[in-house]
Amino acid sequence: MSMQSFAARTGDRIAGSLAYGVIGLGLAFLAIPLVITCVMAFDARTYLGPMPPPALSLHWFERLVSQADILASLRTSLILAVLTTVLSVTIGTAAAVGLARGNFPGKAALTSAFLSPLIVPPVVIGFGLLLFLSKAGITNGMARLLLGHVIITLPYCIRTSLASLLGSDQRLTEAAMILGATERQAFWTITLPLMRTGVVTGAIFAFAISMDDVSISLFLSDPSATTLPVTLVSNMRAAFDLTIAAAAVVLIAVTALLIVVLDRVVGFDTVVGQGLFRS
Amino acid sequence: MTKVRRQPVAISIPDRRDAALTLGPALLVFAFGFLSPLINLAIESLKEFTPGRVGSVENAAATVQNYYELANQAFASVLLTTFWIGGVAAIIGQLVAFPLAYFIVRRISPRMRTLTLGFLITLVLSSVLIKTYAIELTFGSVGIFRPFLLTLGLSPNSREYINIVVIAGLVHSIIPVATLTLIGAMQSIDPRLLDAAQSLGAPGWKAHLSITLPLSFPALISSTLVSLTFAISAFVIPMVLGRGRVLFMSNVIYTRFSDIANYPSGAAISLVMLAAALAVVAVITFAQARRVSQ
Repeated sequence: MSMQSFAARTGDRIAGSLAYGVIGLGLAFLAIPLVITCVMAFDARTYLGPMPPPALSLHWFERLVSQADILASLRTSLILAVLTTVLSVTIGTAAAVGLARGNFPGKAALTSAFLSPLIVPPVVIGFGLLLFLSKAGITNGMARLLLGHVIITLPYCIRTSLASLLGSDQRLTEAAMILGATERQAFWTITLPLMRTGVVTGAIFAFAISMDDVSISLFLSDPSATTLPVTLVSNMRAAFDLTIAAAAVVLIAVTALLIVVLDRVVGFDTVVGQGLFRS
Repeated sequence: MTKVRRQPVAISIPDRRDAALTLGPALLVFAFGFLSPLINLAIESLKEFTPGRVGSVENAAATVQNYYELANQAFASVLLTTFWIGGVAAIIGQLVAFPLAYFIVRRISPRMRTLTLGFLITLVLSSVLIKTYAIELTFGSVGIFRPFLLTLGLSPNSREYINIVVIAGLVHSIIPVATLTLIGAMQSIDPRLLDAAQSLGAPGWKAHLSITLPLSFPALISSTLVSLTFAISAFVIPMVLGRGRVLFMSNVIYTRFSDIANYPSGAAISLVMLAAALAVVAVITFAQARRVSQ
């Protein structure tokens, strides 16, 4: 074995272990806080003590469901997320069809305009909406929240629907029409089913984003309509106890459920391949 | 099966009614819920603030006073904090995401790949609140990382300790998004190039340095900037983990709104923040345009 290849191997070994070390530490850093939160949610102590808990119990969960403000805001959040998803998906899918099929000047500009709420900081959107809606005389909390949530979820729905529409084979629609389908029939039986992946992905993102948002909801919530994250944030700032850990476990479970649906219906590779994230 | 991307053909929507039907609702929402509020924000930022009043007076005089007031040391330090903490978090995120993305693309079985991707997507989709709370539990008064930071000589109430916790919070959100962004670029690198370099005698680390890194460099740049955009518009993470001592621009906007009801000043900061975000996006677009032209 020559000196050179020995040096090369040593270099490789060092570089390799360095890379694996970083990956291992990185994954541990991502997972450990979530694991701690889940374990601590079952802590039998009535105060916030160090890890690990000496005994397990469900009492933090009982406390969670006995808090009226949390239950009320959970209800608001769920209703809001469902309404947001339905509206965003409907408007977004229609817009994607219009953008993909329409032949008009300024199409590219319109597409980027529709996606632009993604690059504006959420706090700016929330604050801007608050000022504008107050001026416009719209004071209903639920209506304000709904508009705010549709604004931030619509770009995702448009983007995913548009991607799957452009990725699917247009000739299938042409074929249907050559075979005598009307434009409407071709849309409902061919085009829309082909867009399914994008529509479902968009819906899951819209639901998750709506359930999660704090930055916008904090500005638009009022006593009659407060979302769960807003209630949790104010609890978190007031007193740091473990009912929030219990709430986190519930929310993680909901997210995991969404992820399983996403994988079954769409597949992770499609999601990653479409590049769903801001850029 | 090869994917052929075709331009949409002209069996398109024939009349304007259908275009209005498909694009109309989105246009309406966009104009009413996004464009008008932003324009209104710009106008509000030029209004004079009357202390003790909620919002500006109806016909208040136009003034640049609100911007002028931002040119002080307090706001400069907020701007600086936002950018340097955000920048550090963005870079640490890439240092982990880059090898992780390569590992997912080239080094693991399909089963492990699905599992890892599922974990990362779960993190992306799960609430920022949960992640923030989890970081607080891990680094806070009972957290398992606390003794570690204490042995480094950091007092729990020191500015450094709080900075580290805020950075940890941001990095926790940045790694999954950056990894998923980089995976796309890594997938399009031909693995045979690496084999070729190695069979021509380059050691593995050198081959990565001269093949993998340059080929994914544009993606790495845009991933860094996307992470930076995320970090500088962060709100909940600095608010909860910063304990009022680390303030980002968005936190100051919220304070202007909730504590002193100085809406014109909040609007001015919003526009500064919007300009900062747009500047970062402009750099991304420029970098991507150069990549295409090369």
